[in-house]
Amino acid sequence: MSIIKKIVFKRFNSTLKKTALHDLHVSLGGTMVPYAGYSMPVLYKGQTHIESHNWTRTNAGLFDVSHMLQSKLSGPHSVKFLQRVTPTDFNALPVGSGTLSVLLNPQGGVVDDTIITKENDDNEFYIVTNAGCAERDTEFFHDELQNGSTLDCQWKIIEGRSLLALQGPKAKDVLEPLLSKTAPGKDLKELFFGQRHEFALKDGSLVQIARGGYTGEDGFEISIANEKAVEFAEQLLANPVMKPIGLAARDSLRLEAGMCLYGHELDESITPVEAALNWVISKSRRDLVDQKYWFNGYAKIMDQLNNKTYSKVRVGFKYLKKGPAARNGVKIFLPDAETEVGLVTSGSASPTLNNINIGQAYVQKGYHKKGTKLLVQVRNKFYPIELAKMPLVPTHYYKQ
Amino acid sequence: MLRTTRLWTTRMPTVSKLFLRNSSGNALNKNKLPFLYSSQGPQAVRYTSQHEWIAVHQDKTAFVGITKYATDALGDATYVELPEVGTEIAQGESLGSIESVKSASEIYQPADGTVEEINTNLEENPGVVNEDPMGDGWLVKMKLGEGVNVEQVEGLMSLEQYEKTLVHDD
Repeated sequence: MSIIKKIVFKRFNSTLKKTALHDLHVSLGGTMVPYAGYSMPVLYKGQTHIESHNWTRTNAGLFDVSHMLQSKLSGPHSVKFLQRVTPTDFNALPVGSGTLSVLLNPQGGVVDDTIITKENDDNEFYIVTNAGCAERDTEFFHDELQNGSTLDCQWKIIEGRSLLALQGPKAKDVLEPLLSKTAPGKDLKELFFGQRHEFALKDGSLVQIARGGYTGEDGFEISIANEKAVEFAEQLLANPVMKPIGLAARDSLRLEAGMCLYGHELDESITPVEAALNWVISKSRRDLVDQKYWFNGYAKIMDQLNNKTYSKVRVGFKYLKKGPAARNGVKIFLPDAETEVGLVTSGSASPTLNNINIGQAYVQKGYHKKGTKLLVQVRNKFYPIELAKMPLVPTHYYKQ
Repeated sequence: MLRTTRLWTTRMPTVSKLFLRNSSGNALNKNKLPFLYSSQGPQAVRYTSQHEWIAVHQDKTAFVGITKYATDALGDATYVELPEVGTEIAQGESLGSIESVKSASEIYQPADGTVEEINTNLEENPGVVNEDPMGDGWLVKMKLGEGVNVEQVEGLMSLEQYEKTLVHDD
């Protein structure tokens, strides 16, 4: 049986960046692995992957996502800039609200998926992008800002802050007692999915809390100063319904919730329509006569959306019987086991569905309807799958 | 008489070794089939550098599994894929694979043999591989090839030798 030698990780560790919580992870028995240039915990001692996953679905889990890029866009032309690089209408977005969107290259391909929150009128936006895309995103923002030389706005990376994802049905019960009641009506009950507000901890420290996450459960993403991060994490973990959770479970949780992983479901050759993310294209931006208001790749994307000219689309699937999981790169066939019609982008057993195999894939248009029965080929054998609407497991967002 | 005495003294060191290593998670579970298959216990238990174990009995029947160390590294087993009964497999060839949520790992045959039985319980309960890798989690029962002596097969280690390699790995 092949097992990666631990010595390899030790060598990597000497050149990897560390989050503010790194030493805490190690003290909690975290197995540290290289991820997006950082040393990150994949699992914790005393918890198996399935136990971590199930704990998050039923209690509350703490994920360190400080490796993700936090940045700020500010200036009078911020909205105008965002209207060009994303398909979302930021004029319509209320202050304190965020939305998932995608950064688009000039061809309409997805540079990264992102959450963008309006902080002050139309002049200030908080942006979170994927750790693995940090270098490309930095290049992208700089290029796009120079490209529109008339735009009066600036983009800069936020330094010195950690990002903690507190996820699970009991997350709100853990977080609420740690917050100071600074103003009447400003409490977690009034922070809904997609919204982000500033709160104070009991000691007066300010944190920004966004409701949402990458698991499909109710939860929060908390931006906090690095100097306060360990103390705060320890306060959260002191609650018996809390456990630290690693990257392994994060991936199986997001897969069940039907969320994309950049590099798997998304890359610069894939449009939002192909990625089945039509909802990031605001309705108010689907009929822009004046080219001046077009977002990157507008003509191609709108042609795909209006005239269904895409050739492939992202789908979810479930196995119809036991077998080895179909992972990234596995081919999908018609029931004739000869005609190739798709490619798996992510796949694994689903702990929530009693370990039946699930996955996401790109399938040729025409074969992409839910309920369609196809075959995946794993190690020269074929296994039957059925395409399924995502999320593959019900979500539990706290919505307005 | 002398012959009888000699046999007795030969067996003692083997028993001692097993006894001394009984607390090791990678030692065979003495209460389960791979050990209890014959009344006198296995003639030899050997390990590979790829973390498989093989327990050979007097009639050349052998049980093959993966070690406790391997199952700990693997995580929760979610699917076990094994060969057909009757398959002849040479040393180093693929015996099947074990999947966890995150990965699939190939299992390699420790010594030449023919599959006589597979552990059908693992189809519905792959987690047994994690619960008791050195006992109930055995993968296949096979008949060793003609003339195969695991004590002389290159690449196979005793428990003591195997565990030394693990210490080095860490």
